[in-house]
Amino acid sequence: MTFTVVRALGLVTVQDLGRRGHMHEAVPPGGALVADRLIAANRAVRNPDDAPALEILGQLAIRAERALEVATDVLPPRAVPVGSELAITSEPRRVTYLAVRGGIAAPVMFGGRGALLCAGLGGLVRARDRVLTAELPEVELPAAPAAAATAPAAPDAPIRLIAGPDFDHFAPGALDLLVSSDYRVLPSSDRVGTRLDGPALPRTGVPEVSRPMVLGAIEVPRDGKPIVLGPEHPTTGGYPVIAVVARADLGRLFSVRLGGTVRFTR
Amino acid sequence: VADWVALGDRAIRFARPERSARTLVRAVRAWPGVIDVVVARSEVAAYFAAEPRVDPAWIAALASAPDDPEPGRDVALPAAYNGPDLADVAAALGRTVDDVCALHAGATYTVETMGFSPGFAYLSGLPAALELPRRTTPRTRVPAGTIAIAGLSTGVYPFDSPGGWHLIGSVVGIKMFGPDGPLLQLGDRVRFVP
Repeated sequence: MTFTVVRALGLVTVQDLGRRGHMHEAVPPGGALVADRLIAANRAVRNPDDAPALEILGQLAIRAERALEVATDVLPPRAVPVGSELAITSEPRRVTYLAVRGGIAAPVMFGGRGALLCAGLGGLVRARDRVLTAELPEVELPAAPAAAATAPAAPDAPIRLIAGPDFDHFAPGALDLLVSSDYRVLPSSDRVGTRLDGPALPRTGVPEVSRPMVLGAIEVPRDGKPIVLGPEHPTTGGYPVIAVVARADLGRLFSVRLGGTVRFTR
Repeated sequence: VADWVALGDRAIRFARPERSARTLVRAVRAWPGVIDVVVARSEVAAYFAAEPRVDPAWIAALASAPDDPEPGRDVALPAAYNGPDLADVAAALGRTVDDVCALHAGATYTVETMGFSPGFAYLSGLPAALELPRRTTPRTRVPAGTIAIAGLSTGVYPFDSPGGWHLIGSVVGIKMFGPDGPLLQLGDRVRFVP
């Protein structure tokens, strides 16, 4: 045992970069809500990018049972002596990652070490849990940051969308409404979906059909309030997709705290 | 030439060629850059590690893709016909409860698509005599292991979840999704054994 959880509030889980290759079995990719932040925390303590770390949507406090070296995606590496406590909050963002040098020891379950709550793999981290760290070898930092797929946007720039594909399910002007309005991130958001409140997006009467879904898809139920699919999303769904968030901007969207405001752009 | 649409900047979606899901998954996963595939009832999505690069000829070729050489497995699921909707289903179909159970247990089903919930298999092959529309009001919680029917499909809920199908029974002594993943796979032939 290397540390004890003193307090866990919100949604705290072990996460890595997810499980590829199982979507045909209705198993979503899972993994970190914001992969870039997990990677940043891991790199700060010289872990491999996909080392398991603690994903914190809320607050976490731990007590070191042996000397630890830890970092988050925003806090630089630091030593935590035996017996001392460390408190982490995801505020002012929705999520932060606590990486421990060597990684969190978590068994491989169905091809990944992270919790996939929708599939009963792993579970929530709770107070009094005792957590083991692994001894993953040190990785040299890359000379340059990982190249982004597209140019990085300013932190508060609108979230870029790829329109469609279910245009026939929406009344004219629905997409314009989506990109011209402020939406608020609802507290009911989780790793399955990020629920937004704002102007309802008008739908047509085209019947719903169950179709393949994707991370970042903006599904619109009959009430017109958009849901952005997260890493534990169902692989098929009946609500039409008005647009999909550009992968390069997904981390920024999922980093907006509950109650915060997002704006989209085409 | 087959058409496709962008599903964001990491996936594409196209109409499902008339091939088994198992064959489609195998063929699409062989495309360069593809990391995942979902086959739904009438559409297929291919998921890429980076920006999709698709040759429309690949999609056209799926219609004549070779069958997956690995056949599906034969799976027997121990079943108890004790679902809360059994009497209503029988009444709606104008049959006895025993008829409904015998018809359901007498058929062999095929895992045609998977979706909705991890490991949920849409089983085709429900006898037409058992065809009913979905419930008008879905339940907010259906227990894991419940056997249900709707339309010409049957299935077993792997996890507690909302559900709009008619609940006719439950599997006995087995988990539909465990630490090693789902019990059923695309192409499996499934029987329910009371």
